[in-house]
Amino acid sequence: MNSADFAVFTVKSASHMGRLALMKMNKLRADVQALLFLLPFLVVYFLFTIWPMIKGVEMSFYKWTLIKKMKYVGLGNYERMFQDHDFWASIWHSTIFVIITTPLMIVLAIILALIANRNSRLQRFYRSVFFIPSILSVAVASFLGLFVFQPYTGLVNSMLHLVKLLPDGAEIFWLTETNLAWIAISLLTLWWTVGFNFILYLSAMQDVPDEVYEAARLDGATDAQLFWRITLPLLSPITKTITMLQIIASFKVFMQIYVMTGGGPLDQTRPVIQLIWQTGFRKNDLGYASAMSYMLFAILLVLSGLQYWVNNRKEAN
Amino acid sequence: MKKNFGMVLALILSLSLLLSACGGSNSGNSGNNEGTAPSNEGTTDQGNGSASNDGEKVTLSFWTLFSGGDGDNMQAMIDAFNKEHPNIQIKNTKLEWAEYYTKLITAVGNGNGPDVGISHISRLPDLINQGVVSELDDVADEAGVDWASFNQNILDASIVDGAHYAVPIDTHPFIMYYNKKLLKEAGLLDEDGKPILEQSADGFITFLTTLKEKLPQKVMPFAMSNANDDPFRYWWALYSQLGGNDVVSDDLNSAQIDTDKAVQAAQYIQDLFHKHKVIKLNDPDFYKNFQSGTAAIMMTGVWATGTWESTKDFEFGAMPIPKVFDQEATWGDAHTVILPVTKKDDPAKRKAAITFANWLADNGQVWAKAGHIPSKPSVFEKQEFKDLPYRSDYVSVASTVKFNKPSTKNWQIRDLAMYKYLNEIWANKLSPAEGIAKMSEEVQKVLNE
Repeated sequence: MNSADFAVFTVKSASHMGRLALMKMNKLRADVQALLFLLPFLVVYFLFTIWPMIKGVEMSFYKWTLIKKMKYVGLGNYERMFQDHDFWASIWHSTIFVIITTPLMIVLAIILALIANRNSRLQRFYRSVFFIPSILSVAVASFLGLFVFQPYTGLVNSMLHLVKLLPDGAEIFWLTETNLAWIAISLLTLWWTVGFNFILYLSAMQDVPDEVYEAARLDGATDAQLFWRITLPLLSPITKTITMLQIIASFKVFMQIYVMTGGGPLDQTRPVIQLIWQTGFRKNDLGYASAMSYMLFAILLVLSGLQYWVNNRKEAN
Repeated sequence: MKKNFGMVLALILSLSLLLSACGGSNSGNSGNNEGTAPSNEGTTDQGNGSASNDGEKVTLSFWTLFSGGDGDNMQAMIDAFNKEHPNIQIKNTKLEWAEYYTKLITAVGNGNGPDVGISHISRLPDLINQGVVSELDDVADEAGVDWASFNQNILDASIVDGAHYAVPIDTHPFIMYYNKKLLKEAGLLDEDGKPILEQSADGFITFLTTLKEKLPQKVMPFAMSNANDDPFRYWWALYSQLGGNDVVSDDLNSAQIDTDKAVQAAQYIQDLFHKHKVIKLNDPDFYKNFQSGTAAIMMTGVWATGTWESTKDFEFGAMPIPKVFDQEATWGDAHTVILPVTKKDDPAKRKAAITFANWLADNGQVWAKAGHIPSKPSVFEKQEFKDLPYRSDYVSVASTVKFNKPSTKNWQIRDLAMYKYLNEIWANKLSPAEGIAKMSEEVQKVLNE
């Protein structure tokens, strides 16, 4: 290598390095720009979501009131939780709610999606009607539930009176009998939240290629066969997602129960979130409330992990 | 078609995002309220700088939990006070009832609390215990507050461990309302427009069953809810009429229910629902039913007076609840003005604040418009008060209200233990004896926590 060559080489490599540096700079600038755009969100997100979550861990180890931490109690709050009948009862109530609503939600969402997916003049109408309830806020939906199920003037009892299923002078107390209250709460929740799952199913159905159905038809498959052999299996990925989301969402149920029954009678419909709220802000015991929140978090984490594991194993087979 | 639908989906999703964003802004709002605290602090600081020179303006921040008619009356009183006192300016911040105490406690805890606040008399011990409310004997002496001018029964409930912590401005007890037209129809209204009713356990039941017989079937004798506040208040009233004295012991450490009296009172009310059937079960519209003339009598807090008054063509009367047992007694609470603990503890501001509190009590005739009974008996003699109808029919109740003992857990005991089991008694799912026994255990549990 003579000196001229070397000079050329160094120049070349220098310019190459320069270009590289420039690219890096550009990339860095893009990152910085992106970060700047994200910053307003991140600040708020950190301040109001991440920070309280971290703080919650600390609080769960203290006897902590609204204005001051009183004293360090170590695992005291967690120990207390394991002996607290009210806590486990309310976990059970939330679980009942999950067990009732999740399967019904999925079946109902599929049925509605099937109806709305048919070629019909009413297609658009179905889609809007099925989806509209889910745009209501939880407070509006809950009060509607209250008005529908209350005795004397409620919609359900009035209808039953109208068709003479309920004799004059008799009333069904939907909201003050434990079993009936679960039915009322579940029906309201189904009506209110099925729309979102319905949309997910509908879009998944539309993604099934028409050719598959045509081929099956040519082979003489019936409608039932089309559904059980083609539609349903092809929907299974979205079903898994919906099941997971639904379980987590249902465990967090609070507002509609609080409005409709207040957790009664005898706290027998009180979900765990209501107990956490009561403990934190009515009994002024934020430490214990945080410990309960983390227990709920752990339960949901285990459930999600379990489901993930089951799904993966199935797919591997 | 498919693409089209994708668009629709995207639209719907973004719409729902938008809507949930709107929902989110609700909680943002409550954050805003919190945000007003520093700005209040700002105004109070201005007041501070000048407050040291006597005769200059003192600005006080005042947090209230009143809405509706109460809110308007309070604002009118504040405006009148500001006009009369050029050296003191009160700035009113209205907070949401349900969030009021949580906000007050946290704000005072981190040093951003108001100069003046409101507390229910039953909640006072809790606020004192949490270090939110300051003692005010010294400043009251200095400002010349005459404690003897207050109704002694109300005042006693605001004294904790021998010290004054609050200036009561009213009491709002549980009383009885009646529909004059319906009572007349049943022949149970005398010439003065008062119910013909024997004040005894059987007398009141005869009164109600007569109403039931004489009035059309769709009219119920008695409108009352089946759960929580009102039936609880009625039970408290009857328990106290029998001589019951709260559900906690004098040292406030343990549950102490006079079981026989508690059961007798609960039985009386359960019978009204289930034996005599004079109250509609689980009635969601008990207010409306009384208001629209489908119920003959009703019992609730005095705040309903303003509501009935503004109802067109509604002829009603108000009276203390009938004395069906041994002594006059009823349930009641009271609004008091408190001086929250502040960082600076400025004597000039504290003096101005107590002057304002005392002025509110002195001008109870405005506050009484919503139905409340003023805390100073001298107000009863004012012409403006006498001009208000109905109030004079029940002012005597101020001295027979059975207030809570000063337990820091009054509200928790009521909300978490008493409502829970009393509701089951009213629903006829527990016998009064069982219900009271369980309630007693639950009260103890709340006290232990």
